[in-house]
Amino acid sequence: MAGPLEGIRIVEMGQLIAIPSAMKWLADMGAQVIRLESVQRLESYRTDSLYHNDVDGEFWNRGANFYEQNRNKLGLTLDLTRDAGRATLRDLIAITDVFAENFTPRVIRNFGLEYENLRQIRPDIIMVSSTGYGFQGPWANFGATGPATEGAGGLAYLTGYKDGGPVMSEIPYTDYTAGEHTVTAVMLALMHRLNTGRGQFIDISQTQTCSATIPEALLDWTVNGRVQERVGNEDPAMSPHGCYPCAGDDRWIAIAVDCDDAWQSLCRVMRRPDWAADARYADALGRIRYRAELDKMLAFETRAHDNHELMARLQAAGVAAGAVMDSADLLFNEHLKERRFYEVVEHHPDTGMPPLPYAGRPWKLSGTPAIPPRPAPLMGEHNRELLANLLGRTDDEIAALEAAQIIGSAPLAPRGVRRPSLDEQVRQGRMQRYDTDYAQRVRQAFNIAE
Amino acid sequence: MSSGALAGVKIIDLTHHIAGPYATKLLADFGADVLKIERPSGDPARRLPPFYHDQPDSGKSLPFLYLNTNKRSVTLNLKSETGPAILFELLADADALVENFAPGVMASLGLDDATLRAHNPRLVMASVSNFGQTGPWRDYRATDLVEYALGGLMYIFGAYDREPLKHALHQAQFKAGTNLASATLMALYHQRLTGAGQRVDVSIQESLASALRDVTNNYTYTGAVRRRQPNHTGDLTRLRAVSDGYVLPNPGIGASLNWQTLVDFLEAPELDDPRFDNASARLENAAALGAILDDIFAAKRKQEIFQAAHEKRFIYGVIDSPQETVDNPQIQARGYYVPVEHPDLGEITFPGAPFLMSDSPWEVRAAAPRLGEHNAAVLGEQGYSAQDLAYLRASEVI
Repeated sequence: MAGPLEGIRIVEMGQLIAIPSAMKWLADMGAQVIRLESVQRLESYRTDSLYHNDVDGEFWNRGANFYEQNRNKLGLTLDLTRDAGRATLRDLIAITDVFAENFTPRVIRNFGLEYENLRQIRPDIIMVSSTGYGFQGPWANFGATGPATEGAGGLAYLTGYKDGGPVMSEIPYTDYTAGEHTVTAVMLALMHRLNTGRGQFIDISQTQTCSATIPEALLDWTVNGRVQERVGNEDPAMSPHGCYPCAGDDRWIAIAVDCDDAWQSLCRVMRRPDWAADARYADALGRIRYRAELDKMLAFETRAHDNHELMARLQAAGVAAGAVMDSADLLFNEHLKERRFYEVVEHHPDTGMPPLPYAGRPWKLSGTPAIPPRPAPLMGEHNRELLANLLGRTDDEIAALEAAQIIGSAPLAPRGVRRPSLDEQVRQGRMQRYDTDYAQRVRQAFNIAE
Repeated sequence: MSSGALAGVKIIDLTHHIAGPYATKLLADFGADVLKIERPSGDPARRLPPFYHDQPDSGKSLPFLYLNTNKRSVTLNLKSETGPAILFELLADADALVENFAPGVMASLGLDDATLRAHNPRLVMASVSNFGQTGPWRDYRATDLVEYALGGLMYIFGAYDREPLKHALHQAQFKAGTNLASATLMALYHQRLTGAGQRVDVSIQESLASALRDVTNNYTYTGAVRRRQPNHTGDLTRLRAVSDGYVLPNPGIGASLNWQTLVDFLEAPELDDPRFDNASARLENAAALGAILDDIFAAKRKQEIFQAAHEKRFIYGVIDSPQETVDNPQIQARGYYVPVEHPDLGEITFPGAPFLMSDSPWEVRAAAPRLGEHNAAVLGEQGYSAQDLAYLRASEVI
């Protein structure tokens, strides 16, 4: 089975998450995605979070983030600051359906890669640009990080403990929000091209995709003139509704009581008939009024329980509850395992890395499932194949490009980031803990041969 | 007919609340004909706060008004005998059915995937649910909070020494809704090429778990388990309070940081100190550095330092309130907020195009529908007479 997007060719000039995560999902579903890099400019996802924290040898082919964002893509290096690099890219554009990038408009203009340029070469091309604040407008050339667009879009202001300032998530959250909307946008453009034969330019403002997901607060302002404030984990209509401590080190459970039946069930599971009988807590209005008191009482009770065990008992009683899962909980979770959510990817033998599981996709398509996973490319891994087979370059031409360092398979200025030892990371509080038998546990859970 | 990317695509929309309706909103706003089938009591999201002028009527939920632009509403009691029969008639020429009932509900109504696709082999049947259509947790209950816990984002979110936190509002629902739109479009693309329909299964839990950077990988690569980070007060990229809000400083990238540049930019000679001029010294004197930085930033103004930073290509960010983001000159220049005329409520300013498409733009053709607003028109198209409609209404089918 080839995936619904078989036959679509995408050239990706992406970096980090916003565009790479989106193109990965399109690659998963069968599109041929050619990922551009250069040996002159080493992406930070190739230099940090390395396998075994090992900065020796070809470390740039062992970066966790690079593998996570670039599954199922082909790797081509090109130095676009020079004519020969840009000429090669133009030849590639001529046979490409989608060109996707997330640099600032300044960079794209300097390379002559605006939509107007591309459509001279390929009239029906779809170009998608993903920028922090949008390709046009007074802030167009302002670079942005995920946290910056989470801030500008209005989400960060609303998020945080009730008594404190804004809190950001510890991942570039809105890069993913933008990436998810980018997949939608590219699919819309592909449908439009089927209908009309025409390509187009898609301008993604990461800030706007963030705002699109918080209409409750934005409309409360535009319609009611009210600026919503931070409420931590509270919900205006539910109580108890929060995150409570459990037995063990940094173990927690989230509980959401969304109706009176669920409240009675919670009291039963916690063996507190006195709460169940208390008229003050009988309905949501009362439970919301006594929210602080209830949270304290509940937190005192949950402390004695294992979070997964308590979740199972609460769920069996019809209460929405979830253990706050850490990375090991996720990897070894029975539900995600049965759904084959994590997929084992075999790495190139040169990396010395064993096959490892990676998060898959949030969807399953029964008739056209995702393709079997291939690892992200080594740097320049498919240079020769792509240049010879797609563009008809001769061995001599390819050798000349290599000699001029227009293409290559190793960064010119390699510098890997060695993180502190695991003991030091735990001491600094950066990591919760580490397991020494993790490799064996992963092998066993995913049936990976030694 | 619309000129959007999905002109001519017909969607039967059985979704309610947030995740499903956001998916069908994306499809409707880009041109699909979306028929929203509501239970006679209406989509429960009609009662989601906040409300227009705090009036809690079913037509005045602001999230509902946002999530249901460009849709037509037909009421149908799927638990009645006639309800499913009418649905089958509507499905005959539909491209996709989108739903977000708890897994198993569709089958219990006689509307399982196999039956529906036997009736219309081109049909894409797309579902979003808390944990997907299969697996031991399929029937677990969840809210956005519970999804944050089980999707893995919560454990690494919040203060080091406090309880884990979730984002404000309903991010898990919107995330899954976006993914449902994408997956449905992939199946529709395949349908347009081959004529074949198929089943789409989107999980809210997996929507969160597939958008975590370096979480499970940290474990498989080194054995380490990530957690909420301590408050490194000397961290140069840490969120800082300024006199009129908060900014996200970003002095440059890691080791390439030139300390003097930063001292000059912040106009802070007190930072010109050997205790701070290299990375390891800064780590050693983090508390002192943090205190000085707090003071320096407290005297700055948000927009001034943000603009000055970008002149130097330091990628600072701002934390904007709902009011500030609506007033943001960049967002205004892009025309993001748009007036939508509502027949009962007048003009309302909505967040508009989530992204700009040059040849098939986002558009609002109609405000969110009243409950059952299109019963007569839609069932009339199917050949039901005024008399039939009266009978269906009397027997509580519509």
